[in-house]
Amino acid sequence: MTTNDLRPAPDGELLALAREGTLAREYPRVRRLVGELSGDALVRAGQLLTWLDQDEVISAHPAVSPVKIAITGHGTLHALVAPLTAELARHGLLLRPYLADFDSYVSALAEPGSDLYAQRADLVACVLDPAVIADELPTPWRHEDAVRVLEEKLALLEQLADRYGEAGDAVLVFNTIPLPHELCAQLVDRRSRAALGAAWRETNARLLRLMDTRPWLVVLDLDPLLTEPIPLCDPRASVYVKAHLSGELLARYARELGHLARQITGRTKKCLVLDLDGTAWGGVLGEDGIDGIEVAGTYRGEAFRAFQKVVKQLAAQGVLVAVVSKNDLDLVRQALREHPGMTLRENDLVRVIANWRPKHDNLVGLAADLNIGVDSLVFVDDSPFECGLVRSELPEVAVVALDGEPAAHPGALLRDAWFDSRDVTAEDLTRTVRYREELVRKDFLRSFGSLDGYLDELGVRVRLCRAVPADVPRISQLTLRTNQFNLTTVRLQQPDVQRLLADPDATVLGIHAADRFGDNGLVGAIFLRREGDSVRLENFLLSCRVFARGIEQACLSAVLRHAGASGVQDVLGGYRPSTKNGKVADFYPMNGFIRVSQVDDLQVFRHDLAAIPAPPRHIELIVLLGAGR
Amino acid sequence: MNSLEEFVSLVRDEVGLPVTVDDAGVTLDDLPGWDSVHLLTLLVAVERATGRPLPMPDVLEAPSLHHIYALAVNHE
Repeated sequence: MTTNDLRPAPDGELLALAREGTLAREYPRVRRLVGELSGDALVRAGQLLTWLDQDEVISAHPAVSPVKIAITGHGTLHALVAPLTAELARHGLLLRPYLADFDSYVSALAEPGSDLYAQRADLVACVLDPAVIADELPTPWRHEDAVRVLEEKLALLEQLADRYGEAGDAVLVFNTIPLPHELCAQLVDRRSRAALGAAWRETNARLLRLMDTRPWLVVLDLDPLLTEPIPLCDPRASVYVKAHLSGELLARYARELGHLARQITGRTKKCLVLDLDGTAWGGVLGEDGIDGIEVAGTYRGEAFRAFQKVVKQLAAQGVLVAVVSKNDLDLVRQALREHPGMTLRENDLVRVIANWRPKHDNLVGLAADLNIGVDSLVFVDDSPFECGLVRSELPEVAVVALDGEPAAHPGALLRDAWFDSRDVTAEDLTRTVRYREELVRKDFLRSFGSLDGYLDELGVRVRLCRAVPADVPRISQLTLRTNQFNLTTVRLQQPDVQRLLADPDATVLGIHAADRFGDNGLVGAIFLRREGDSVRLENFLLSCRVFARGIEQACLSAVLRHAGASGVQDVLGGYRPSTKNGKVADFYPMNGFIRVSQVDDLQVFRHDLAAIPAPPRHIELIVLLGAGR
Repeated sequence: MNSLEEFVSLVRDEVGLPVTVDDAGVTLDDLPGWDSVHLLTLLVAVERATGRPLPMPDVLEAPSLHHIYALAVNHE
């Protein structure tokens, strides 16, 4: 047995905090420590964290967001709590777990009066395992019996998902059910074994497709996770304590759930930051020259090419990709432009930063240039030194540490679901181009003596109109991704936005913007609610790419004028401080609102509609607030 | 696994339960903070530490930490 005190940091550091009883007080440190762990060490850390008094953590660190996850399923699921606690801690979140009674998932989801519904959880995880099917088989059984049970269970799960969609308000998570060899091998003839395999896969395929028409549902596909490789089941735990999924698989599942929790709380990762030498290509550009680096052709070159293709694939789906490299900028640009075997080109990249400054300084500068939070960066590097320095200087940056084996780079990058989202929107497909245009705008701005001169020449066109169903995915995404210009930081899943569209007292407005450099697309949203003689601005949000050029004033002015014209007495606006939205704290008072009250952390401002400010004159504003566009 | 002290320190660091050697003989039901779900965590930890499997049914039926320690030692 190893002596615990000899365990390397950060495992040892965490253990020391646990022994001292100071984990709650030091919770912000926990994020960095847990972030460096994986496998058993991560689960062990999670186990220690399960003893934390969550209220003590929150009162000591108000910036830490608690996330309530309700767990239900067929088997014993206690082993999910420790890894899930650790996974949330990695993202700076705090798990408040609720574990439903053993094998109670049917009643828990079917009855809106159940304890599970009463939890008002942020996420509901219904963990399905092979025993859901196997426990219903007669003895002896034939493959037809299994086919019948599969049909019944799929119908049941569909009903449960729909019931939850009607009566619940969180994201519900199902998973596919892997087929254990121990089950199919009980059929000795290959034909019925094949028939069972086919029916089993068809059930899983239909389970996955339940997501197509149910925006509140996520179905995690466990089969790809089991290829990593991870055992499906520990037979002893399955037989003796009805824990039908292995601890390793539950830990892997927890990792996926952790990323889901990160997304629904608005902690979107937006930009992948790549190192070059040893990461994107083999060799050292400065020493080996453009012809000497490995990006194709050779054994290692092909491995780097495969990695570059994965990066390009992410870039094509809305992930911003930037380069931060200790290199000579001109040489890097030349390599990206001229190397005949290069897969990643300058057009795939939103920014190329090559200099000799510390990488953490460059990351801060990059985030500022893109006007995104440092915490939305994912940094990839093969140098343990650079990874360690970024971790310690910027603990909010996700670090993907690569090693010297380029064939393993794609797996290392994709092992964590850093960039997963529920849907890819039209906005995602053009994001890199739009951010590059934005950087051109910044250069354009620098060529002007004054901001006004710049704005006059920018030619901003804004269209403010009622949201239509096709806008729902993007508007939901805006509420999840936007942190700075987000007045109340209310995160909305797609079903929440759909409900508002159908609500006669609610109005959802989409803000579309364009200028001389291109179309910005759907960049913001305003949520209004009619309350008697008042209109309440429930939220106002604008993408970080486009604020501070008058769009927000123009839209607010339009809303106020429309409210005045429709006979309303006043307009109320709310501001709820978050760690990120300080720059809009004065948005309402700066625009003619008077502060009238504070309810908990919500500050309420009122505009009496007596003097409505005109929209900024440099903006061409089209307002369509009637029904539809 | 060389001593009861080492085993108790494993319980503290892996399960997170603040126990001492004096608690090892206490019936698990009477051990403050103890929950039967910790048995699986402890079993995995002991197996990892000793590198040998333990008989799970015996661990599940063990009345005290001392009994689990005895199982771990006897299987070495």
